[in-house]
Amino acid sequence: MTTPTPMLLLRASELTGRPVVTLSGELIAEIKDVVFERSGGRIAGFTLRNPGLFSRSRKDSLPWVGVHGIGRDAVMVSDETVLIAADQLAPRKQARDADVLQDRVLTDNGRDLGRVVDVVLHSGTSLDVVGYEVETSEALGTAGRHVFIPLPDTVAVSGENLIVPAAATEFVSEDLAGFGAAVGAFRARLREGAS
Amino acid sequence: MLFSQARKREVVNTATATRVARVDGFVVLPGPARVALLRLGKVRGAGTLLAWEDVRGFGPDAVTVATDAVIRPPRDGLEQRAEDNDLEILGKRVLTERGMELGSITDVDFDPETGAVTTLLTKTEVIAGQRMIGLGGYAVVVSA
Repeated sequence: MTTPTPMLLLRASELTGRPVVTLSGELIAEIKDVVFERSGGRIAGFTLRNPGLFSRSRKDSLPWVGVHGIGRDAVMVSDETVLIAADQLAPRKQARDADVLQDRVLTDNGRDLGRVVDVVLHSGTSLDVVGYEVETSEALGTAGRHVFIPLPDTVAVSGENLIVPAAATEFVSEDLAGFGAAVGAFRARLREGAS
Repeated sequence: MLFSQARKREVVNTATATRVARVDGFVVLPGPARVALLRLGKVRGAGTLLAWEDVRGFGPDAVTVATDAVIRPPRDGLEQRAEDNDLEILGKRVLTERGMELGSITDVDFDPETGAVTTLLTKTEVIAGQRMIGLGGYAVVVSA
């Protein structure tokens, strides 16, 4: 019997500062920020900065296709040739639009659930957006708590409001450890509803 | 043989039967993982590197060479980095190709006949030499 591999979840903010290392063992950059695809469901790549305390931003960036592996301690790339110009990854305006932090999360029946404080990613063959960490409004009981809200497979992250299905409120998690199962259950429910 | 046991070993010129240097360190290269060069101390000339091909024997008591002339300065950028200690494997962090750290290298086991690196050791891990993909200034990278 094989046990299924647990869902590897991480917060987008945790990636900031993570070293970018080539397979030949050289440190070439640090992650500065996560850049989301315009469609919102996936990661386009990362902006970079030079390693070190007073690090400068760089004009090149790391597209998702150039990532060999993402782990707890480093982002691995085959070599420096996978880097591309930062404006090739996402034009400045688009990068700004896709920034969801502090956006309001609204259910499709019009309840304000709170504001986005972080994005939850699932690391597999691609890096997918599976939920938001939200500072809650009164709609979810006590205001000001941090909870995790699952997202459908596809969702638009641009705009000031993020619309989620009302059913998402039934799958809210208090901690990241239990959140993987909640995302799975929520998406299964949406698929049942669609068929 | 472990690096920790092989360090400080005398290098002896078999033509003159004199001690010409001492082993200070090992330069490991990947693909396949092997000892490519020895870094020497207590040398008489300017050079401090000895290529593995120029070693006549890596014995339990001494490393032998046929002539002093094989002890030489670095020939290229990679060898310069090796001489500058930038590529020293001992103490270097180990990363898997999936970005997980496995600790730092505490010792390395190698075959004194061929120079092949058989095992990398960290405090908690025993890693087969074949898993080594790369060795740079920042890390030793091993397959997942």
